[in-house]
Amino acid sequence: MAAEMRFAKSHEWVRPEPSGLATVGVSAYAVEALTDLVFMQLPAVGRRVKAGESFGEIESVKAVSDLYSPVSGEIVEVNAALPNALETLGKDPYNAGWIIRIRPDDPKELDTLLDQSAYDALLKSQPH
Amino acid sequence: MHLIHVWWDGAGDGPTNMAADELLAAESLRLDALLVRIYGWEPTTISLGAFQKLDDATAVAEIRGVPLVRRPSGGGAIVHGSDLTYAAAVPKTHPWGASPQVLYDALHAAMAEALREQGIQAVLWRPPGSPAPAAASTAGDDSFFCFDRRASGDLVVHEQAAAAGGRGHKIMGSAQRRLEGAVLQHGSLLVRRNGTLAGRACHPGVSDLCASRPTADLEPQPLLERWLQLVAQTLEADVLSQPGEFRGLHSRNLDDHAARFRDAGWIGRR
Repeated sequence: MAAEMRFAKSHEWVRPEPSGLATVGVSAYAVEALTDLVFMQLPAVGRRVKAGESFGEIESVKAVSDLYSPVSGEIVEVNAALPNALETLGKDPYNAGWIIRIRPDDPKELDTLLDQSAYDALLKSQPH
Repeated sequence: MHLIHVWWDGAGDGPTNMAADELLAAESLRLDALLVRIYGWEPTTISLGAFQKLDDATAVAEIRGVPLVRRPSGGGAIVHGSDLTYAAAVPKTHPWGASPQVLYDALHAAMAEALREQGIQAVLWRPPGSPAPAAASTAGDDSFFCFDRRASGDLVVHEQAAAAGGRGHKIMGSAQRRLEGAVLQHGSLLVRRNGTLAGRACHPGVSDLCASRPTADLEPQPLLERWLQLVAQTLEADVLSQPGEFRGLHSRNLDDHAARFRDAGWIGRR
């Protein structure tokens, strides 16, 4: 995992790219908690989202979960192959399992998110 | 000590019930507790899972003309009318809120015990070769009806099991919507066949499968009360039965929320 990766409390990760875009996915913890994934709905390219706003949904055998954008901005790319290869989320959640790319309105917004150690601490505090 | 707040609502239509359940999830955050709403349906209604295709519903001849509502939760379609339906909501910070399987198993195991006390041998279904619930890979499928699917933790009885291909008859299933701060779980215990529908849409309920038992004629209220007692024992909680209906308490917001579930865009979203 890249050191600069940040996490939302709702278990999405975001990674700033050299291009200025931010790549977003869901953490390995979240994927494992959801168990068998069966369907994913991606947003339209060009849609604007605010931090904390739902940008998509993912369904497992038992549960439907919203996916929340960690940052505000415009969605400029989606991983269109992912809904037909949901196993990728479990195998490689931080690389091939990326979900959307956002052009952030304010790159400094990433600094308000959890870093790796803070996210690890959050996971330790989760009820089991 | 935890509290479980319980509302006993009467029968309502699909959009009103779904709206009430979304409000229940929000209320669980305010009360920071497990909330349960038990309710009925009038008229008989088909509820679709959040992502089921509407075309798949219209292709089932047996349910043509029956009102449809789309749940916010996942899973397969359910014919409501001869079942006992509940909605449960917990904050994600609740001991049962972090993982989908924990809440699912807790509520189903309590119902299995309540049924066993009445001589009905209901068990939690596990995929073959998966003894540990946490590690169980589910064997869910894309059958249209919930009661034709199997997922780890579903409640099944093995009476007349040969007719169900040896997998047992599913009598209770649940599905969740995991919201930003709370989890909403819908569940249905099939009491008896729905007499108004036939063919694929007509699944046997507990009373049909256990008709030879003296206790087969289930009394819903005592069964549900015992279920809640057992849930409370597991959680080490007290049950707080609320005097009025949840829908009545939230009637001011209910119509606005229900409009979303009546909207053709929501019903036909997929």
